[in-house]
Amino acid sequence: MTTLLVLLLLAIGVYLLAVLENWIANGRFQLTAPAYSAIALLGRESVIPRKPDLLFFEVGPVLLLIAALLAAAVIPLSPDLIIADLATGALFLNAALAYILVALIMAGWGPNGAYAMIGGWRFLGQLVAYAMLIVMPITAVAMRAESLVTTDIVFSQAGLWNIVYQPLGFALFFIAAMGLAFLPPFDLPTAKGELAGGVEAEYSGVRLAIFRLGRMVLIITLAGATATFYLGGWQGPLLPDWIWSAIKIMLVTAAMLMVGKYVPRIRETHLLAWCWKFGIPLALLNIFIVGILIVVIP
Amino acid sequence: MITGQAIFIGFFGMAAVWFGIVVFRTFSMVRSAIALLFSQTALGAMFLTMQAEFLGVLQIMMMATEMSIMAIFMVMFMMDPGGMGKMDMTHQKRLSLIAGFVAFVGAVAVAVFIDWGPVTETIADTAQQTEALGLELLGRSMLIFETAGVTILTAMIAATAVAIKPVPIKIKTKDEK
Amino acid sequence: MGVELIWSLITGAALFGVGIYGALSQTNLVMIMMGVELILAGALLNLVAFWRYLHPDVAAGQMFVLIVMTVMALEMAVGFGIAIARFRSKGSVEMEEAVELKK
Repeated sequence: MTTLLVLLLLAIGVYLLAVLENWIANGRFQLTAPAYSAIALLGRESVIPRKPDLLFFEVGPVLLLIAALLAAAVIPLSPDLIIADLATGALFLNAALAYILVALIMAGWGPNGAYAMIGGWRFLGQLVAYAMLIVMPITAVAMRAESLVTTDIVFSQAGLWNIVYQPLGFALFFIAAMGLAFLPPFDLPTAKGELAGGVEAEYSGVRLAIFRLGRMVLIITLAGATATFYLGGWQGPLLPDWIWSAIKIMLVTAAMLMVGKYVPRIRETHLLAWCWKFGIPLALLNIFIVGILIVVIP
Repeated sequence: MITGQAIFIGFFGMAAVWFGIVVFRTFSMVRSAIALLFSQTALGAMFLTMQAEFLGVLQIMMMATEMSIMAIFMVMFMMDPGGMGKMDMTHQKRLSLIAGFVAFVGAVAVAVFIDWGPVTETIADTAQQTEALGLELLGRSMLIFETAGVTILTAMIAATAVAIKPVPIKIKTKDEK
Repeated sequence: MGVELIWSLITGAALFGVGIYGALSQTNLVMIMMGVELILAGALLNLVAFWRYLHPDVAAGQMFVLIVMTVMALEMAVGFGIAIARFRSKGSVEMEEAVELKK
């Protein structure tokens, strides 16, 4: 029952995200546009390229969707509205998100196309950049909560949200989450201008619909993770708790999309250099500061 | 007595071994790396079945990145990464088969014929396990854990030093003028 | 007798055997490393099974598993370092072409 409810909310969130993306990218607010484009995608022919690795070609988009859904399973919308309240929730989130990379490599290698393959391997390089910046801020969050359980992490922010307690960690996690969801300016694997769609290039029809759906779920999940770890999850005055979760998730999503609108696409070498030379030392500094803060102000 | 746990262990175990065999039977190198990944993932699922949740999740997380990196190195270093040419990349096949089989039979014999003593059925729940592991890591076994960390650092430096492109040093000799 | 323990150990033995076969029969350095990964995976499984079914109250068993995982990562890192150096100087990481290392 809870699972179905969460999945329903997730579906609504995905639809709203599609509307929002269209609004921010094209400046048109159309509530029905995503439905029409989804129907159009489902109706179109799903072309299979010549000499594909058919197994990878089919599995790639599905694995993307499954990995994003698994990651969404540990995001609490309210104390009870969570699919799996695991004892190692924060670690499980990382484990599920690691398979996004595998899905993109499979989807990039499968269709036997140059642009798709470059896109897939590019995402591997991007992983080297963002992975540490996902894990290390979560470490600091878990340190404050003294637990890996996601609901406990939200409860630990009752007095003070983590965005105030560890703003550095929030900034790093936000950037890394955008890199993981390959949102602009980090949309290296699917770069529209230079790779003609990259990983998405050879997909069409139903498979492209699944791929896009998986990516939308991924964005919502990462926004949910940001809200859970840094914005106090479901906590807020007056309104019921799941509405607060929804508001926070949509705000984070909107912020992610807005950033991408005004920043030019980053070069892969620059991304790697900045993440390793500035990001990782800052993340370590964040852990250090939080460690001191926990002793000083519990 | 066959319990649900035993059935899941058997299932994931067969999946792990099957994917392990696929690694050396497929011609496509990327498929080979991904098969190894799924073998390790099945292993992680076995850990989860054995209620070692932390280790299982850690295994599943670590291997995804590790094997993806393996995949790109395969594509870089192999002559036929897509496996279109069906190249045979093996040697001393008979010897290897015998060695592998002997190792398998020996290990199975040890596993079956030794009396392992009483088997514990129940186990502490995950939160307690994780806490105990943390206390162990930063308490009694801290020195070993630190050693592992220093070893990783050493390996990182060593690997970088070996792999880095040597800068050609120009030494001016007399007859070069 | 715990059938779970025996099945886990047999699976570990099978992974070990497949790993030995791979490490001995493959001609490419990266494929040999895959064999070694499988051998270590078998060891990993045995360690977890021993911890779970024989000594679940000793946390050091879990720590041992972490150390083996570290070893797996190290093997990858150093192996790829050597592979890159070899590829840069000789243009291939085939074992058959590396006989001059014996001399």
